[in-house]
Amino acid sequence: MKTLFAATSTILALGLSPAFADNTLSLEGKTIGVAVVGTQHFWDREAFNGATSMVEELGGTVVPVDGGRDNQVHADNHDVLMNRGVDAVISILGDGSVEPKFEALQAANIPVFAVDHPSPYAVNNTTSDNYYMGTTIGRYMADAIGGEGKVAVFNAFENSLRICGIRTGLWKYVLQDYPNIEIIQPELAEEFANAPEDARRQTLDLLSQYPEGTIDAIHVGCWDQPAIGVVQALEEAGRTDIVVTALDGGPETLEIMAEDDSPFVANVAQQPRLIGQTAAENVARYFAGETLLPQTYVDVIPVYGQDGAKAAYSKLGYGEIE
Amino acid sequence: MQVSARHQKHRLATLVGFLPLIIFLALLLYVGLNAPNFMTVVNLKLVLAQSLPVVLSVIGLSAVVMAGGDDVVSGGIDLSTPATAVLCAGIVSVMTTAGQPLLIAAGASLIACMLVGVVNAVLITRLRMAPLLATLAMFVAVVGINNVITARKRLNLAAESIASLRQDFVFGIPLGILLVAVLALLAYHFLHRSKWGLNLQAAGGSRDAAEISGIRVDRLVAQTYLLAAFMGFVTGFFMLARANGYSPGAQDNLMLEMVLATFLGAAFSPRRIVTVWGAILGAVLVAAISIGLKTIGVNVFWTDLIKGALIVIVVALSAISERVQ
Amino acid sequence: MTEAAFQLSGIVQTFPGVRALDGADLMVRPGEVHGLVGENGAGKSTIIKVLAGVYQPAEGRIEVGGSTISPATPEKIRDAGVRFIHQELHLVPYFTVAESVFMGQEISGPFGLCKREMRSRAEAFLREELGSELPGNRLIRDLSPAERKLVQVARALVDGAAKVVVFDEPTAPLASEEVLKIMTAIAKLKTRGIAILYVSHYLNEIVDICDRVTVFRQGKNVAIFDEITTDTGPALVSAMIGRDLDAFFPTSSRSAGEVALRLEHFDDGQAFSDVNLDIRRGEIFGIAGLIGSGREELIDALYGLRKSQGTLTLDGATVDTKTAAKAVANGMVLVPRDRRHDGLVLPMTVAENATLATLDENATFGLIDRGKARQVTEALIKDLDIRPSNAQAVTRFLSGGNQQKVVLARWLAKSAKVFIFDEPTVGVDVGAKAEIYQLIENLASEGAIILISSSDPVELVGTCDRVAVMMRGDVRTIIEKQDLNVDHLVAVTTGATSVSETEHAS
Repeated sequence: MKTLFAATSTILALGLSPAFADNTLSLEGKTIGVAVVGTQHFWDREAFNGATSMVEELGGTVVPVDGGRDNQVHADNHDVLMNRGVDAVISILGDGSVEPKFEALQAANIPVFAVDHPSPYAVNNTTSDNYYMGTTIGRYMADAIGGEGKVAVFNAFENSLRICGIRTGLWKYVLQDYPNIEIIQPELAEEFANAPEDARRQTLDLLSQYPEGTIDAIHVGCWDQPAIGVVQALEEAGRTDIVVTALDGGPETLEIMAEDDSPFVANVAQQPRLIGQTAAENVARYFAGETLLPQTYVDVIPVYGQDGAKAAYSKLGYGEIE
Repeated sequence: MQVSARHQKHRLATLVGFLPLIIFLALLLYVGLNAPNFMTVVNLKLVLAQSLPVVLSVIGLSAVVMAGGDDVVSGGIDLSTPATAVLCAGIVSVMTTAGQPLLIAAGASLIACMLVGVVNAVLITRLRMAPLLATLAMFVAVVGINNVITARKRLNLAAESIASLRQDFVFGIPLGILLVAVLALLAYHFLHRSKWGLNLQAAGGSRDAAEISGIRVDRLVAQTYLLAAFMGFVTGFFMLARANGYSPGAQDNLMLEMVLATFLGAAFSPRRIVTVWGAILGAVLVAAISIGLKTIGVNVFWTDLIKGALIVIVVALSAISERVQ
Repeated sequence: MTEAAFQLSGIVQTFPGVRALDGADLMVRPGEVHGLVGENGAGKSTIIKVLAGVYQPAEGRIEVGGSTISPATPEKIRDAGVRFIHQELHLVPYFTVAESVFMGQEISGPFGLCKREMRSRAEAFLREELGSELPGNRLIRDLSPAERKLVQVARALVDGAAKVVVFDEPTAPLASEEVLKIMTAIAKLKTRGIAILYVSHYLNEIVDICDRVTVFRQGKNVAIFDEITTDTGPALVSAMIGRDLDAFFPTSSRSAGEVALRLEHFDDGQAFSDVNLDIRRGEIFGIAGLIGSGREELIDALYGLRKSQGTLTLDGATVDTKTAAKAVANGMVLVPRDRRHDGLVLPMTVAENATLATLDENATFGLIDRGKARQVTEALIKDLDIRPSNAQAVTRFLSGGNQQKVVLARWLAKSAKVFIFDEPTVGVDVGAKAEIYQLIENLASEGAIILISSSDPVELVGTCDRVAVMMRGDVRTIIEKQDLNVDHLVAVTTGATSVSETEHAS
């Protein structure tokens, strides 16, 4: 535990460093479009706020567009930005719908800086270390159920979003070394909009199929909004035999983890605001003539158990949990 | 004396009736003067391209409202069209991804979509369910079926030819816009310039009047639900082209915009009723305003509020004009 | 004698428990305007529906243009050239005149509707056949009621195949000066040899335009007038009534007090104008008038359900009647005509309905004192003899008479000064009627002011001390007790006797 703590603080220090390092970066006179798929969820909103505030801090003008959690609207918004004429686009999240739009932007010589969306048409993608997230949560979950048992997984996006493919794929890769852990088939598919309520309903259905003692963990493969609903459903059904694990570590899920006897035992927290800021800085670096690597990784903070949640909450600057 | 008073009232009503259009045009002008590249042909294409799915679905919905009456609660309405559209998109995606030819996939989804229309028609004209409830229930059911079919997963476009709806041009005009324009003209002709269309309007305007004039109201109403389902089918392909594949969850936003555009359109019609061209104009204007607000860089947390307020103003003005009359 | 345009003979039509038509005959010749009169329930509307093919009579024969139609279906009747101008307009407000005239028989070419042709043909038909210069592109909602009626007539006749036209109360919603337009149109149709059946309560119109008149009473034709003169009016009235006053009206020894309720210059700018009435304490005051006379609208206005101008004073103080709530607060209560819609909340219990107007009195700090409410209701149930005598019975399942008593109970629970009864016994059985009349009488004896608006002349004559007769928006006359009899009231109400004669007689 102590080593883990030391590790996280180092990562955090490293992660925050770029914001203070480059005083020379500037977006003066540049107009930057910032497209986000939605602003309902903490992660999306923080990444969006991070990107827009950093663009403004660097002297640029922001043209913000919000897809309202509809991937098609999000994709269409790129057309609006292109027609309006911007110098660069920061595109946060989104599924395959945006690919043709990225392609068109590239053809129009407007560079695209993606967040959590690797694409051949983007200059660069700023993202968390998804490989580390996937393997870490795999190990944590296996530990939490003693290396054996049955696991249900919410996994709607493994095939459609590359970042989810990495996270869930590596989680499964770790589980290959645990022959006594079985993933319940068919896997569950959560809804994009309205995720907590939808996951709550699906979990209640699942629990009625799998009585006490026949299921050991529920994992959300790519994010943690559904986990809020999963925990609710477990409490409603009075089931204490199941642990919950997920990824992202926003403040609301860390708060749930910090409750006494919370079934939500492991998470890996991202730094969405820092990711957004980093994307904006990458735009400035690009215009300053720097060559960017295809991927910029922003570090993550593994969270295990009640105390870990409290510590991470405080480290990420969300406040203190008593 | 009385005649002139009526005349004055009439003029007031006409003026109030034109206010929504004036407000919209003024707002567009404001956006046009403040947003770069807004008043350009390219932007017009963009507005039209982004409004295509809504335009297609309002054609079906306005036919349903014309035949069933425009009372929002008890009149004709088909909320299930967006669900039918995503059902079409879902079935086509799953089948083409599995290697089926596009034609077979399209045929299968046409059958499925028309089945939705038939169920709507039976629920409403035979079982006499309130259209609002019947089609809302169908919306939920169809989305549910579609979730089973697609497992709620994003599916990339497997049939490349569908993408021509998005990217091909004919005589310099985007193919998608051209096709929808042709469909809209056909719809206008049949709904407003044909005996069938006038009978639809009679049925919606006064069911009794239509029946004593020998018009078979139930048959007409049933036909409009089939038309709406067919338009849902067509919309499905445009959604596939737009999203370059199937993205789950597009039905909610489409339903909202479809209903708003249709009833907003009534405010633009001189007779203050739901018309096809009014609904299409409504759909295009909503897209234009929405793009305009994005272009001038309005804070994203405010756009929904502005859009909502605009809609309330337009519908309220329409109601006021009705009352004055 | 010319051959009949249509003839109904020996028609028997029964409904569960009722013999609505009992061997009725009706014959109309081509080129004549034939009046059909009778009181409500005499069988007029039933025989029209038999002629229309809506009802299939148990016995009797229907002949149109000399050939028997059997069975008579609406389609066959229509094909035989019979057209109906229903009392309801059935028009789409946002359609044009041309679109309305050609509804269901639109003219359409290879490229869709021929709007121009429809318009010119509709205008030509209105001008040549009905004598009206209506533009074909005008919207229905911009037309006056008479113009709408003409559009309705044009729609029925525009195919040129009409041989018989039935007008059902065509002038009911019209103002006096507008009636002329309809009369002109009918006169034009007559010259074309079309047979016209004219059904109306307005006996003056019947006398004015009809060549012959058939009178219905109790499901039969009781009289046929082959020649119409100015004296025919009173004769029609006695043929229509032909029955004794029902004996269930209470006897009264009341004497009315001083004038307590005063209406001055009541005017809604539409249905009635400049109505002035003085009503005394302890008086039962009736208001008579046909549909369209402004009677119903006046009652609504008194109770704040309709916008109007005028002053209402109660016991010398001006009362604000802008809203129903203010009227109630000032001690005025209404027992409405359509109790299913206006008077009762049908899914609620008798107790809940009865105490709806007195919730304040039965509540402590906004919470309803159910015990108290029940006590009050049980007392009222006993007083009014409401059956079943169960405060928790759901109102929907009560008979019409008992529902009416529940509405009464609500207002009795609140001590009011003025009671306005609008059609108090419509849909109420005979026994309950007598009880309601007795109740009204009791209220008046206790000093309440009673206003009864009714379309039943027998009811008004039996219960009222004085009756004001309204016609086309004006109070034409007030009939005093000594002149109050059914013949006279009907004659004045229907216009069979003009007001000047009335005043002469009294």
